[in-house]
Amino acid sequence: MTDETNALFEAFFSLEEIRELLRQSAPSHKLSDEQKKILKEKIAAIKKSLAVLENLE
Amino acid sequence: MKLTENLELREREEDYININPLQTGGRTYPETRMAIDSYIDGYSVCDWCTGALCKMEKPPIQKFLEDVSLFLGMDYSMLTNGCREAKYAVLHAITNPGDAVVIDGNKHYTTYVACERARVRIFEVPSSGSPEYKITPEGYRNVFEEVKKETGHSPKLAILTHVDGSYGNVVDAKAVADVCKQYSVPFLLNTAYSSGRMPVDGKKIGADFIACSGHKSWAAGGGNVGLLSVTEPWVKQVFIPSIKYGAKPIEILGCSSRGSAAIALMASFPKVKERVKHWPKEVENSRQVVKQLEEAGIRQVGVKPTEHDLNFFESDVLYKISETHKKKNFYLYSELKDQGVVGIKAGLTKNFKFSTYGKTREQLEHVAWAFRDIVERYG
Repeated sequence: MTDETNALFEAFFSLEEIRELLRQSAPSHKLSDEQKKILKEKIAAIKKSLAVLENLE
Repeated sequence: MKLTENLELREREEDYININPLQTGGRTYPETRMAIDSYIDGYSVCDWCTGALCKMEKPPIQKFLEDVSLFLGMDYSMLTNGCREAKYAVLHAITNPGDAVVIDGNKHYTTYVACERARVRIFEVPSSGSPEYKITPEGYRNVFEEVKKETGHSPKLAILTHVDGSYGNVVDAKAVADVCKQYSVPFLLNTAYSSGRMPVDGKKIGADFIACSGHKSWAAGGGNVGLLSVTEPWVKQVFIPSIKYGAKPIEILGCSSRGSAAIALMASFPKVKERVKHWPKEVENSRQVVKQLEEAGIRQVGVKPTEHDLNFFESDVLYKISETHKKKNFYLYSELKDQGVVGIKAGLTKNFKFSTYGKTREQLEHVAWAFRDIVERYG
Protein backbone atom coordinates (compact mmCIF):
# COMPACT_ATOMS: atom_id res chain seq x y z
CA MET A 1 0.00 0.00 0.00
CA THR A 2 1.29 3.44 -0.84
CA ASP A 3 1.86 6.02 1.88
CA GLU A 4 -0.87 8.20 0.38
CA THR A 5 -3.52 5.48 0.47
CA ASN A 6 -2.45 4.48 3.96
CA ALA A 7 -2.71 8.12 5.10
CA LEU A 8 -6.15 8.43 3.50
CA PHE A 9 -7.55 5.41 5.37
CA GLU A 10 -5.81 6.37 8.61
CA ALA A 11 -7.57 9.74 8.41
CA PHE A 12 -10.90 8.07 7.63
CA PHE A 13 -10.50 5.79 10.62
CA SER A 14 -9.73 8.68 12.96
CA LEU A 15 -12.77 10.52 11.63
CA GLU A 16 -14.90 7.43 12.31
CA GLU A 17 -13.61 7.41 15.90
CA ILE A 18 -14.68 11.05 16.21
CA ARG A 19 -18.03 10.15 14.67
CA GLU A 20 -18.40 7.55 17.42
CA LEU A 21 -17.79 10.23 20.03
CA LEU A 22 -20.66 12.23 18.53
CA ARG A 23 -22.89 9.15 18.60
CA GLN A 24 -22.02 8.31 22.20
CA SER A 25 -22.60 11.87 23.38
CA ALA A 26 -25.75 12.69 21.34
CA PRO A 27 -27.74 14.85 21.52
CA SER A 28 -25.76 17.32 23.66
CA HIS A 29 -22.27 16.42 22.36
CA LYS A 30 -20.85 17.31 25.77
CA LEU A 31 -17.73 15.16 26.01
CA SER A 32 -16.27 13.60 29.14
CA ASP A 33 -12.59 14.18 29.96
CA GLU A 34 -11.73 10.77 28.52
CA GLN A 35 -13.65 11.54 25.32
CA LYS A 36 -11.93 14.93 25.03
CA LYS A 37 -8.58 13.16 25.25
CA ILE A 38 -9.55 10.75 22.46
CA LEU A 39 -10.77 13.67 20.35
CA LYS A 40 -7.41 15.45 20.63
CA GLU A 41 -5.51 12.27 19.73
CA LYS A 42 -7.68 11.65 16.69
CA ILE A 43 -7.39 15.21 15.43
CA ALA A 44 -3.60 14.97 15.76
CA ALA A 45 -3.64 11.71 13.80
CA ILE A 46 -5.77 13.29 11.07
CA LYS A 47 -3.36 16.22 10.79
CA LYS A 48 -0.48 13.79 10.43
CA SER A 49 -2.30 11.96 7.64
CA LEU A 50 -3.21 15.21 5.92
CA ALA A 51 0.47 16.22 5.92
CA VAL A 52 1.23 13.09 3.89
CA LEU A 53 -1.64 13.82 1.50
CA GLU A 54 -0.54 17.44 1.09
CA ASN A 55 2.67 16.15 -0.49
CA LEU A 56 0.66 14.74 -3.40
CA GLU A 57 1.15 16.78 -6.55
CA MET B 1 -26.13 18.86 3.97
CA LYS B 2 -26.94 16.99 0.78
CA LEU B 3 -25.15 13.91 -0.52
CA THR B 4 -26.50 14.40 -4.02
CA GLU B 5 -29.20 16.61 -5.50
CA ASN B 6 -31.98 14.49 -4.02
CA LEU B 7 -30.27 12.62 -1.16
CA GLU B 8 -30.01 14.10 2.33
CA LEU B 9 -27.19 13.20 4.68
CA ARG B 10 -28.46 10.88 7.43
CA GLU B 11 -27.38 12.28 10.78
CA ARG B 12 -29.82 10.66 13.20
CA GLU B 13 -27.19 8.53 14.94
CA GLU B 14 -24.82 11.48 15.43
CA ASP B 15 -27.22 14.26 16.41
CA TYR B 16 -30.03 12.31 18.09
CA ILE B 17 -30.63 9.39 20.41
CA ASN B 18 -32.19 6.94 17.99
CA ILE B 19 -34.50 4.45 19.74
CA ASN B 20 -36.03 2.86 16.64
CA PRO B 21 -36.13 -0.85 17.54
CA LEU B 22 -35.41 -1.81 13.96
CA GLN B 23 -32.11 0.05 14.05
CA THR B 24 -30.52 -0.04 17.51
CA GLY B 25 -28.92 -3.50 17.18
CA GLY B 26 -27.66 -2.83 13.67
CA ARG B 27 -25.79 0.31 14.59
CA THR B 28 -22.20 -0.09 13.43
CA TYR B 29 -18.88 0.30 15.22
CA PRO B 30 -16.05 2.54 13.91
CA GLU B 31 -14.05 -0.45 12.64
CA THR B 32 -17.16 -1.78 10.91
CA ARG B 33 -17.67 1.50 9.08
CA MET B 34 -14.02 1.48 8.05
CA ALA B 35 -14.35 -2.06 6.75
CA ILE B 36 -17.48 -1.09 4.84
CA ASP B 37 -15.71 1.90 3.34
CA SER B 38 -12.77 -0.21 2.22
CA TYR B 39 -15.04 -2.88 0.66
CA ILE B 40 -17.65 -0.48 -0.68
CA ASP B 41 -17.30 -1.40 -4.35
CA GLY B 42 -19.36 -4.05 -6.09
CA TYR B 43 -18.22 -7.67 -5.67
CA SER B 44 -15.44 -6.46 -3.39
CA VAL B 45 -15.25 -9.76 -1.51
CA CYS B 46 -14.52 -11.63 -4.73
CA ASP B 47 -10.90 -10.51 -5.30
CA TRP B 48 -9.60 -13.98 -4.40
CA CYS B 49 -12.67 -16.03 -5.27
CA THR B 50 -12.15 -19.77 -5.20
CA GLY B 51 -15.60 -20.66 -6.46
CA ALA B 52 -17.96 -20.08 -3.55
CA LEU B 53 -18.51 -17.29 -1.06
CA CYS B 54 -18.76 -19.62 1.94
CA LYS B 55 -15.40 -21.22 1.05
CA MET B 56 -13.49 -17.94 0.68
CA GLU B 57 -10.16 -17.84 2.50
CA LYS B 58 -9.30 -14.22 1.65
CA PRO B 59 -11.13 -12.42 3.14
CA PRO B 60 -11.48 -15.28 5.65
CA ILE B 61 -15.20 -15.92 5.23
CA GLN B 62 -14.94 -19.69 5.70
CA LYS B 63 -13.12 -19.25 9.02
CA PHE B 64 -15.65 -16.61 10.07
CA LEU B 65 -18.53 -19.00 9.39
CA GLU B 66 -16.81 -21.69 11.46
CA ASP B 67 -16.47 -19.18 14.32
CA VAL B 68 -20.14 -18.21 13.97
CA SER B 69 -21.16 -21.86 14.25
CA LEU B 70 -19.20 -22.16 17.51
CA PHE B 71 -20.67 -18.88 18.77
CA LEU B 72 -24.23 -20.07 18.10
CA GLY B 73 -23.64 -23.63 19.30
CA MET B 74 -24.42 -25.02 15.84
CA ASP B 75 -22.44 -27.12 13.34
CA TYR B 76 -22.47 -25.27 10.00
CA SER B 77 -23.31 -21.73 8.96
CA MET B 78 -23.95 -19.95 5.71
CA LEU B 79 -24.22 -16.29 4.76
CA THR B 80 -27.63 -15.22 3.52
CA ASN B 81 -29.01 -11.90 2.35
CA GLY B 82 -31.01 -11.59 5.57
CA CYS B 83 -32.98 -13.49 8.19
CA ARG B 84 -36.00 -13.89 5.91
CA GLU B 85 -33.83 -15.49 3.23
CA ALA B 86 -32.45 -17.88 5.86
CA LYS B 87 -35.98 -18.91 6.88
CA TYR B 88 -37.03 -19.37 3.27
CA ALA B 89 -33.93 -21.46 2.52
CA VAL B 90 -34.95 -23.95 5.23
CA LEU B 91 -38.59 -23.97 4.10
CA HIS B 92 -37.61 -24.54 0.50
CA ALA B 93 -35.10 -27.25 1.36
CA ILE B 94 -37.16 -29.42 3.69
CA THR B 95 -40.82 -28.91 2.82
CA ASN B 96 -43.04 -29.56 -0.17
CA PRO B 97 -46.03 -27.47 -1.27
CA GLY B 98 -49.03 -28.35 0.88
CA ASP B 99 -46.98 -29.51 3.89
CA ALA B 100 -48.06 -28.23 7.31
CA VAL B 101 -45.78 -25.68 8.96
CA VAL B 102 -46.43 -24.26 12.44
CA ILE B 103 -45.52 -20.66 13.23
CA ASP B 104 -46.22 -18.36 16.19
CA GLY B 105 -48.79 -15.59 16.43
CA ASN B 106 -46.12 -12.99 17.22
CA LYS B 107 -44.13 -13.83 14.09
CA HIS B 108 -42.53 -11.28 11.83
CA TYR B 109 -44.47 -10.90 8.61
CA THR B 110 -41.55 -12.37 6.67
CA THR B 111 -42.05 -15.73 8.37
CA TYR B 112 -45.56 -15.81 6.95
CA VAL B 113 -44.47 -14.55 3.53
CA ALA B 114 -41.64 -17.11 3.38
CA CYS B 115 -44.21 -19.84 4.12
CA GLU B 116 -46.49 -18.49 1.40
CA ARG B 117 -43.63 -18.49 -1.09
CA ALA B 118 -42.86 -22.10 -0.17
CA ARG B 119 -46.59 -22.91 -0.74
CA VAL B 120 -46.95 -24.65 2.62
CA ARG B 121 -50.08 -24.79 4.81
CA ILE B 122 -49.68 -22.39 7.69
CA PHE B 123 -50.89 -23.27 11.21
CA GLU B 124 -50.51 -20.53 13.78
CA VAL B 125 -49.91 -20.79 17.54
CA PRO B 126 -51.96 -17.96 19.07
CA SER B 127 -50.48 -15.68 21.71
CA SER B 128 -52.18 -15.34 25.09
CA GLY B 129 -53.49 -11.92 23.99
CA SER B 130 -53.58 -8.72 26.04
CA PRO B 131 -51.72 -7.77 28.16
CA GLU B 132 -48.83 -10.28 27.93
CA TYR B 133 -49.12 -11.66 24.38
CA LYS B 134 -47.18 -14.76 25.48
CA ILE B 135 -46.28 -17.66 23.22
CA THR B 136 -46.09 -20.94 25.13
CA PRO B 137 -44.78 -24.46 24.51
CA GLU B 138 -48.28 -25.74 25.30
CA GLY B 139 -49.54 -23.62 22.41
CA TYR B 140 -47.19 -25.46 20.06
CA ARG B 141 -48.31 -28.82 21.47
CA ASN B 142 -51.98 -27.92 20.91
CA VAL B 143 -51.38 -26.87 17.31
CA PHE B 144 -49.27 -29.99 16.61
CA GLU B 145 -52.24 -32.06 17.78
CA GLU B 146 -54.55 -30.00 15.57
CA VAL B 147 -52.27 -30.60 12.56
CA LYS B 148 -52.15 -34.34 13.28
CA LYS B 149 -55.93 -34.47 13.54
CA GLU B 150 -56.41 -32.60 10.29
CA THR B 151 -53.64 -34.06 8.13
CA GLY B 152 -52.81 -37.35 9.81
CA HIS B 153 -49.14 -36.32 10.18
CA SER B 154 -46.95 -34.16 12.38
CA PRO B 155 -45.98 -30.79 10.85
CA LYS B 156 -42.96 -30.71 8.55
CA LEU B 157 -41.45 -27.75 10.38
CA ALA B 158 -42.05 -25.50 13.39
CA ILE B 159 -40.81 -21.90 13.39
CA LEU B 160 -40.52 -19.84 16.58
CA THR B 161 -39.81 -16.12 16.84
CA HIS B 162 -37.37 -16.16 19.75
CA VAL B 163 -38.00 -12.47 20.51
CA ASP B 164 -40.86 -10.81 18.71
CA GLY B 165 -40.60 -7.34 17.17
CA SER B 166 -43.80 -6.01 18.72
CA TYR B 167 -43.58 -6.68 22.46
CA GLY B 168 -40.00 -7.87 22.90
CA ASN B 169 -41.20 -11.05 24.62
CA VAL B 170 -38.43 -13.63 25.04
CA VAL B 171 -39.94 -17.08 24.49
CA ASP B 172 -38.59 -20.16 26.28
CA ALA B 173 -37.14 -21.60 23.08
CA LYS B 174 -35.79 -24.72 24.78
CA ALA B 175 -39.25 -25.64 26.05
CA VAL B 176 -40.67 -25.23 22.53
CA ALA B 177 -37.77 -27.28 21.12
CA ASP B 178 -38.56 -30.04 23.65
CA VAL B 179 -42.16 -30.21 22.39
CA CYS B 180 -40.87 -30.33 18.81
CA LYS B 181 -38.62 -33.26 19.71
CA GLN B 182 -41.54 -35.16 21.27
CA TYR B 183 -43.40 -34.84 17.94
CA SER B 184 -40.25 -35.26 15.76
CA VAL B 185 -40.83 -31.86 14.22
CA PRO B 186 -37.72 -30.00 12.93
CA PHE B 187 -37.33 -26.69 14.76
CA LEU B 188 -36.28 -23.38 13.18
CA LEU B 189 -35.51 -20.53 15.59
CA ASN B 190 -35.83 -17.00 14.23
CA THR B 191 -33.29 -14.98 16.23
CA ALA B 192 -33.59 -11.66 14.40
CA TYR B 193 -34.03 -9.84 17.73
CA SER B 194 -31.93 -12.17 19.90
CA SER B 195 -28.65 -13.54 18.48
CA GLY B 196 -26.06 -10.77 18.32
CA ARG B 197 -27.69 -9.01 21.29
CA MET B 198 -28.05 -11.78 23.85
CA PRO B 199 -26.46 -15.22 24.24
CA VAL B 200 -28.06 -17.86 22.00
CA ASP B 201 -26.81 -21.46 22.12
CA GLY B 202 -28.52 -23.69 19.57
CA LYS B 203 -27.26 -26.92 21.14
CA LYS B 204 -28.56 -26.01 24.60
CA ILE B 205 -31.86 -24.90 23.12
CA GLY B 206 -32.20 -27.90 20.83
CA ALA B 207 -32.67 -25.94 17.60
CA ASP B 208 -32.16 -27.63 14.25
CA PHE B 209 -31.85 -24.32 12.41
CA ILE B 210 -31.09 -20.78 13.51
CA ALA B 211 -31.84 -17.75 11.32
CA CYS B 212 -30.07 -14.48 12.15
CA SER B 213 -30.27 -10.89 10.99
CA GLY B 214 -26.89 -9.16 10.62
CA HIS B 215 -28.29 -5.70 9.98
CA LYS B 216 -30.83 -5.97 12.81
CA SER B 217 -28.83 -7.44 15.69
CA TRP B 218 -25.18 -8.06 14.71
CA ALA B 219 -24.09 -4.43 14.17
CA ALA B 220 -23.65 -5.03 10.46
CA GLY B 221 -24.55 -2.19 8.12
CA GLY B 222 -23.53 -1.52 4.55
CA GLY B 223 -26.46 -3.50 3.16
CA ASN B 224 -28.44 -6.58 4.08
CA VAL B 225 -26.84 -9.68 5.52
CA GLY B 226 -28.00 -12.68 7.51
CA LEU B 227 -26.89 -16.08 8.69
CA LEU B 228 -28.33 -19.56 8.58
CA SER B 229 -26.85 -22.05 11.03
CA VAL B 230 -27.80 -25.71 11.06
CA THR B 231 -26.95 -28.88 12.94
CA GLU B 232 -25.01 -31.71 11.32
CA PRO B 233 -27.99 -33.94 10.41
CA TRP B 234 -29.45 -31.19 8.23
CA VAL B 235 -26.33 -30.07 6.38
CA LYS B 236 -26.77 -32.29 3.32
CA GLN B 237 -30.42 -31.37 2.87
CA VAL B 238 -30.16 -27.63 3.46
CA PHE B 239 -26.69 -26.86 2.08
CA ILE B 240 -27.21 -29.01 -1.02
CA PRO B 241 -24.91 -27.98 -3.88
CA SER B 242 -25.90 -27.43 -7.49
CA ILE B 243 -25.63 -30.55 -9.66
CA LYS B 244 -23.93 -28.63 -12.44
CA TYR B 245 -21.99 -26.09 -10.34
CA GLY B 246 -20.82 -28.28 -7.46
CA ALA B 247 -19.36 -25.47 -5.31
CA LYS B 248 -22.58 -23.45 -5.27
CA PRO B 249 -25.23 -24.11 -2.58
CA ILE B 250 -28.60 -23.84 -4.33
CA GLU B 251 -30.57 -22.42 -1.40
CA ILE B 252 -28.55 -19.18 -1.55
CA LEU B 253 -28.39 -19.30 -5.36
CA GLY B 254 -24.66 -19.98 -5.22
CA CYS B 255 -23.41 -16.94 -3.35
CA SER B 256 -25.49 -14.59 -1.20
CA SER B 257 -24.16 -11.37 0.35
CA ARG B 258 -21.24 -10.51 -1.93
CA GLY B 259 -20.09 -7.10 -0.77
CA SER B 260 -19.56 -4.74 2.12
CA ALA B 261 -22.44 -6.10 4.24
CA ALA B 262 -20.69 -9.48 4.59
CA ILE B 263 -17.47 -7.67 5.51
CA ALA B 264 -19.40 -5.52 8.01
CA LEU B 265 -20.72 -8.64 9.70
CA MET B 266 -17.19 -10.00 9.99
CA ALA B 267 -15.74 -6.71 11.24
CA SER B 268 -18.39 -6.35 13.95
CA PHE B 269 -18.14 -9.96 15.10
CA PRO B 270 -15.44 -9.47 17.80
CA LYS B 271 -17.55 -6.69 19.38
CA VAL B 272 -20.73 -8.76 19.03
CA LYS B 273 -19.12 -11.73 20.80
CA GLU B 274 -18.17 -9.40 23.62
CA ARG B 275 -21.43 -7.47 23.87
CA VAL B 276 -23.68 -10.49 24.36
CA LYS B 277 -21.86 -11.04 27.66
CA HIS B 278 -23.28 -7.70 28.82
CA TRP B 279 -26.90 -8.60 28.03
CA PRO B 280 -28.01 -8.46 31.72
CA LYS B 281 -26.94 -4.79 31.79
CA GLU B 282 -29.02 -4.08 28.68
CA VAL B 283 -32.07 -5.66 30.33
CA GLU B 284 -31.43 -3.67 33.50
CA ASN B 285 -31.19 -0.44 31.46
CA SER B 286 -34.45 -1.29 29.71
CA ARG B 287 -36.23 -1.98 33.02
CA GLN B 288 -35.04 1.34 34.43
CA VAL B 289 -36.55 3.26 31.51
CA VAL B 290 -39.80 1.25 31.66
CA LYS B 291 -40.07 2.02 35.38
CA GLN B 292 -39.63 5.74 34.80
CA LEU B 293 -42.17 5.81 31.98
CA GLU B 294 -44.72 3.84 33.99
CA GLU B 295 -44.39 6.39 36.80
CA ALA B 296 -45.47 8.97 34.20
CA GLY B 297 -48.52 6.93 33.17
CA ILE B 298 -47.01 5.25 30.10
CA ARG B 299 -47.63 1.50 30.47
CA GLN B 300 -45.45 -1.29 29.14
CA VAL B 301 -47.40 -4.07 27.42
CA GLY B 302 -46.00 -7.59 27.12
CA VAL B 303 -44.30 -9.88 29.63
CA LYS B 304 -43.34 -8.10 32.87
CA PRO B 305 -40.78 -7.30 34.02
CA THR B 306 -39.42 -6.84 30.55
CA GLU B 307 -36.66 -9.23 29.49
CA HIS B 308 -35.56 -7.29 26.39
CA ASP B 309 -34.48 -3.86 25.15
CA LEU B 310 -37.50 -3.64 22.83
CA ASN B 311 -40.73 -2.69 24.54
CA PHE B 312 -44.28 -1.81 23.55
CA PHE B 313 -46.13 0.96 25.37
CA GLU B 314 -49.72 2.15 25.76
CA SER B 315 -50.51 5.63 26.96
CA ASP B 316 -53.85 7.34 27.50
CA VAL B 317 -52.13 10.47 28.80
CA LEU B 318 -50.04 10.96 25.64
CA TYR B 319 -53.09 10.22 23.47
CA LYS B 320 -55.23 12.80 25.33
CA ILE B 321 -52.59 15.46 24.73
CA SER B 322 -52.89 14.82 20.95
CA GLU B 323 -56.57 15.86 21.09
CA THR B 324 -55.67 19.43 22.03
CA HIS B 325 -52.08 19.89 20.82
CA LYS B 326 -51.77 22.06 17.69
CA LYS B 327 -49.66 19.38 15.98
CA LYS B 328 -52.35 16.76 16.74
CA ASN B 329 -51.03 13.19 16.78
CA PHE B 330 -47.68 14.26 15.31
CA TYR B 331 -46.82 16.23 18.44
CA LEU B 332 -45.07 13.34 20.22
CA TYR B 333 -42.63 12.77 17.37
CA SER B 334 -42.04 16.50 17.09
CA GLU B 335 -41.59 17.17 20.81
CA LEU B 336 -39.20 14.23 21.22
CA LYS B 337 -37.18 15.33 18.21
CA ASP B 338 -36.88 18.81 19.68
CA GLN B 339 -35.33 17.11 22.74
CA GLY B 340 -32.91 15.12 20.57
CA VAL B 341 -34.80 11.80 20.61
CA VAL B 342 -35.94 10.05 17.42
CA GLY B 343 -37.20 6.60 16.52
CA ILE B 344 -40.86 6.63 17.58
CA LYS B 345 -43.03 6.44 14.46
CA ALA B 346 -44.44 9.85 13.54
CA GLY B 347 -48.18 10.03 14.25
CA LEU B 348 -48.26 7.50 17.09
CA THR B 349 -49.27 8.55 20.61
CA LYS B 350 -51.47 5.82 22.08
CA ASN B 351 -49.36 2.78 21.19
CA PHE B 352 -45.71 2.77 20.25
CA LYS B 353 -42.52 0.81 20.75
CA PHE B 354 -38.88 1.62 21.16
CA SER B 355 -35.56 0.05 22.03
CA THR B 356 -32.93 1.05 24.59
CA TYR B 357 -30.22 -1.17 23.11
CA GLY B 358 -26.64 0.09 23.15
CA LYS B 359 -27.44 3.45 24.69
CA THR B 360 -25.47 4.93 27.57
CA ARG B 361 -27.08 5.42 30.97
CA GLU B 362 -26.95 9.20 30.40
CA GLN B 363 -28.75 8.83 27.08
CA LEU B 364 -31.45 6.64 28.60
CA GLU B 365 -31.94 9.08 31.46
CA HIS B 366 -32.43 11.75 28.80
CA VAL B 367 -35.01 9.62 26.93
CA ALA B 368 -37.01 8.99 30.13
CA TRP B 369 -36.79 12.68 31.05
CA ALA B 370 -38.01 13.71 27.55
CA PHE B 371 -41.19 11.61 27.95
CA ARG B 372 -41.81 12.78 31.52
CA ASP B 373 -41.25 16.39 30.48
CA ILE B 374 -43.92 16.13 27.75
CA VAL B 375 -46.43 14.64 30.23
CA GLU B 376 -45.66 17.34 32.81
CA ARG B 377 -45.96 20.22 30.33
CA TYR B 378 -49.08 19.11 28.45
CA GLY B 379 -50.75 16.35 30.45
